[in-house]
Amino acid sequence: MTFSKLARKNMWRKPLRTVLLIICVAVAFLIYGLTASFVAGSQGSSAASEDVLGVTSVAGQSQPLPIAYLGRITSQPDVETVGYMTRLRGFVETENNVVSVSATDPARLMAVTGPQLGLTPVLIEALGGARDRLLVGRALANANGWIVGQRITVTSFQIAKQDGIRNWRFEIAGIFEGESTSTDTYFAIAHYDYVNASRALAQDTVSAFILRPRAGVSPSELAVQIDALFANSATPTRTQSEKQFLEAFMRQYADVGMIVNLVTGAAFVTLLMIIINTMIFAVRERRFEIGVLKTLGVSRRRIMMLVLAETLLVFIVGGGVGLALTKLATVLAGPAIGLTLTPMIIAKASAIIFILGIATGALPAFNAMRTPIVSAFRTR
Amino acid sequence: MTNTQPYISIRHLQKGYKIGGEAISIFDGLDLDIPNGDFVAIMGPSGSGKSTLLNMLAGIDRPDAGELRIGNSYLNQMGEGARASWRAHNMGIVFQFYNLLPMLNAAENVELPLLLKPLSAKDRRDRVRKVLDLVGLSGRERQYPSMMSGGQQQRVGIARAIVSDPGLLLCDEPTGDLDRKSADDVLQMLRFLNQELGKTIIMVTHDPEAAKYAKRVLHLDKGNFVEEKRAA
Ligand SMILES: Nc1ncnc2c1ncn2[C@@H]1O[C@H](COP(=O)(O)OP(=O)(O)O)[C@@H](O)[C@H]1O
Ligand SMILES: [Mg+2]
Repeated sequence: MTFSKLARKNMWRKPLRTVLLIICVAVAFLIYGLTASFVAGSQGSSAASEDVLGVTSVAGQSQPLPIAYLGRITSQPDVETVGYMTRLRGFVETENNVVSVSATDPARLMAVTGPQLGLTPVLIEALGGARDRLLVGRALANANGWIVGQRITVTSFQIAKQDGIRNWRFEIAGIFEGESTSTDTYFAIAHYDYVNASRALAQDTVSAFILRPRAGVSPSELAVQIDALFANSATPTRTQSEKQFLEAFMRQYADVGMIVNLVTGAAFVTLLMIIINTMIFAVRERRFEIGVLKTLGVSRRRIMMLVLAETLLVFIVGGGVGLALTKLATVLAGPAIGLTLTPMIIAKASAIIFILGIATGALPAFNAMRTPIVSAFRTR
Repeated sequence: MTNTQPYISIRHLQKGYKIGGEAISIFDGLDLDIPNGDFVAIMGPSGSGKSTLLNMLAGIDRPDAGELRIGNSYLNQMGEGARASWRAHNMGIVFQFYNLLPMLNAAENVELPLLLKPLSAKDRRDRVRKVLDLVGLSGRERQYPSMMSGGQQQRVGIARAIVSDPGLLLCDEPTGDLDRKSADDVLQMLRFLNQELGKTIIMVTHDPEAAKYAKRVLHLDKGNFVEEKRAA
């Protein structure tokens, strides 16, 4: 027996009540963990460039543009370099392991956005060796445990080969690191020629052009110029900076994030009130025992610690379960969803668990400390 | 401590309560001496202040005025924290309704007071085993209070009261809730603790049979004591 064992035994006196309390706490921290993981996982836009422009179809990102546009874009005097890519989305091995492959002209990609992606001449050379070679981003490689030289098969969601099969085989030729840790490297780079030559439909189209303006040229003015070129064609374009594009995409999430934050906040406050209320009840029920402990000579401070330890225990067990469930959710959801349970989130959640545990226990503990013991001999 | 001083001395003790704005006096200038090794039974009508006196002796309640000394400690001058720690080291308390903690088994209940002492887990276990043996409960260490008879529970209560080897035992109606046979067992045990282990015992009781186990009987009447005359 120790005092902490006594706190544990006290905690399990009303098992149902304790279990319900723990579930309350676990659910709250699951919500918290998921929200924070989601926000942490969608922070790609800060690293995105203002200078790189992307050209996609006005009809939407998934609508193809003819590769023939390349010549007209290149001939614009304000454009320095142009690249292009076809996005091949699919999965590897299991359907929720979603992978995105950008089929591109490696040399052009290098010229437009090489430094940002962490592409080096050595990597580009390695990719050049054979048509089915692939460069994999660090985040994607780590998530799958892939190494250089490994062969993988991406099963495409849409793009089939001429034989009707949607399996695309690649050999990993290198891994690119990204300029900084906040660069999105959860994708792979393949040869446009390989994908374009084999695919059944939409040959000679691309998902997007990407270009870098000449020095001193305003990216937004250039964007207007380019969209004007194709305004009257069959497939008009929409040109945006990479940052604008990502931010527009993120903003939908940001608002959701705020709502979820409000819900989490409300859940926390409600939870806190429920638990304080329950603990006050529990301590009142225990007046008799607290009186006994005091008559035995247990100090007021110890009694207070005993009650505090009990709430803290409820929060630590509940919070731990909540965070474990969050971890499970991030694993099950797969990395493509973008849930990232960072050590920072865990540290913050632990701090909140601890502070709430203390705050919730404070009032009942204070009450317990003040419970008079004169009545100890008289009633029970 | 000098040998000429009685172990417990109460001088000019005053104690009253306010009930609904009206002050009632329970003790007004009480004097009492109890020598070391005594076994005193306190009797008296209900409401005469027996429990109030025990509470003050235990340092749970405070006198309004007067002096209350036990050994070298003047309880009337000590703060609540000091009295709690004094209690932990110097006295055991036996309650009418046993006051065992229901979620702890017999051994754990008995071990509780030892948690306040600098003892190893092994030392605590040894002591618990020894006192449970002494009160005739060896083999029942793991039983919970709800599975025990009143007599057994009270023996756990006595074991808890003596486990830290205090010199003084306070008992408030220790047999008030027991049948004759269990009551006699408990009283035998108290007599043993007094005669063989030298504990000073103050026991409040209604039961004249119980009072016979004591060395002397004090009747509390109108806030003062009258000692019972006994055939030697
Ligand atoms: N906390 C209290 N508040 C007010 N009155 C009390 C309190 N404790 C005891 N009393 C009163 O003091 C008197 C003595 O009580 P008590 O010591 O319990 O008597 P006994 O144990 O001899 O039956 C009673 O009249 C009781 O009502
Ligand atoms: Mg009484």
